[in-house]
Amino acid sequence: MGEVIVITSGKGGVGKTTTTANVGTGLAMLGKKVVLIDTDIGLRNLDVVMGLENRIVYTLVDVVENTCRIKQALIKDKRYPNLYLLPSAQTKDKTAVSPEQMKKLADELRDEFDYILMDCPAGIEQGFKNAIAGADRALIVTTPEVSAVRDADRIIGLLDANDIRDNHLIVNRLRTDMVREGNMLSSEDVVELLGIDLIGVVPDDEQIVIATNTGEPLVGSEAKAGKAYMNICKRVLGEEVPFLDLEETKSFFEKFKAIFKKS
Amino acid sequence: MKNTVVMKGTRSGIILVLDDKISYDELKLDVAEKFRTSAEFLGAAQKAITFQGRRLTEAQKLELVDVIHRHCNLNIVCIMEDDPAMEQAFRQSMERTLIEKEANSGQFFKGSLRSGQVLDVETSIIIIGDVKPGAKVVSKGNIIILGALKGNAYAGADGNTNAFVVALDMQPIQIRIADTIARSPDKPERNHLKETKIAFWLEGNIYIEPLDKDVMNDIRL
Repeated sequence: MGEVIVITSGKGGVGKTTTTANVGTGLAMLGKKVVLIDTDIGLRNLDVVMGLENRIVYTLVDVVENTCRIKQALIKDKRYPNLYLLPSAQTKDKTAVSPEQMKKLADELRDEFDYILMDCPAGIEQGFKNAIAGADRALIVTTPEVSAVRDADRIIGLLDANDIRDNHLIVNRLRTDMVREGNMLSSEDVVELLGIDLIGVVPDDEQIVIATNTGEPLVGSEAKAGKAYMNICKRVLGEEVPFLDLEETKSFFEKFKAIFKKS
Repeated sequence: MKNTVVMKGTRSGIILVLDDKISYDELKLDVAEKFRTSAEFLGAAQKAITFQGRRLTEAQKLELVDVIHRHCNLNIVCIMEDDPAMEQAFRQSMERTLIEKEANSGQFFKGSLRSGQVLDVETSIIIIGDVKPGAKVVSKGNIIILGALKGNAYAGADGNTNAFVVALDMQPIQIRIADTIARSPDKPERNHLKETKIAFWLEGNIYIEPLDKDVMNDIRL
């Protein structure tokens, strides 16, 4: 029986889609059968981040409206054969599907997949309601900014009201140098403000920008953010992986830089 | 509502199936009632009408059309005989003209198509502007883009494998001709040259080539 995980944040631009792509790919690398569903109808992105845009024939809306079978709409990833994407439609809007239809779809996919990841759109309207409809648990992505944390808090409340209580926090785009100087909230600060368990901290990494533009998820690579995402995947599977504390991440980064300077 | 009058819609007209058990006067009232209650749904279209299920005199047919005109906004332009053979012939000739029209005529569209926009046309289409990623052009004929094709183009949408796509700058995400789909390479080309190219169908594959004289000679309309 597969598990449905929604990746949500409230605020836009904090890294939901990047997180979905990387956690999904990471879980597939760890041998799980995974499907990523882009629920952002009208503003799809996940296909671009995954580098699968050119393969889209049918979309989520076609599946829900029964113009095609689920199998026809699922796009197999170009790197991992046990990873699939169900792309969103670009020409419709959020009202093209209902929460009931999304729940039904998620339940149909449970038999075949170990993990079903829902990439939630920004906001708390119809798109959010669709994305959380069939979810068992949630990964809440936030950046260490007051505005993002405020929105994340609202989201946690809404998830709670919808009986989704297995929630974990991902602090994205953390800059250790700024935290040290006291100019940015630390991951501990964010955890304290939100009061839910932390599942991972992803440092701000320019490699992410490159990866997004080339359509190759970073997870599993030697880049800092790639390692952080792999750790999150292992924790999603229930493995105990120690957190790299801020100073350690920092000293590692220094070492990394030093190596480059030498060569 | 009694089922003494049943309305069926066809592509160009309405078939009215009438009960032959009740009296003509009663039927006339039922027809009036039927069209009065459906007036809003039917709108103000121009339709042909066919009577079925009951033998009517010419005078009665005209009277019923008059009743219809009085109770809704439809404009009944002609009364068609209920004759399957004739209808078949009509349909065939209509479809033949339509197909010819699609292949040999075109229309212009000025402006760029952006992500999420779909341009769906029956004839060939000439776009003066770009088709951006996430946008789609669908045509039953050919597609000519006087600009860059960076989105999806679907030519010969009803199965015409002679259809083609031309763009001044050819960088499509996906091209479909008839039932064949071609997608862009996963790795973008390093040195993309802006030149006019044509995408055409040959034996189940889609080829993209620079638009030179040889290729142009092979174009069939």
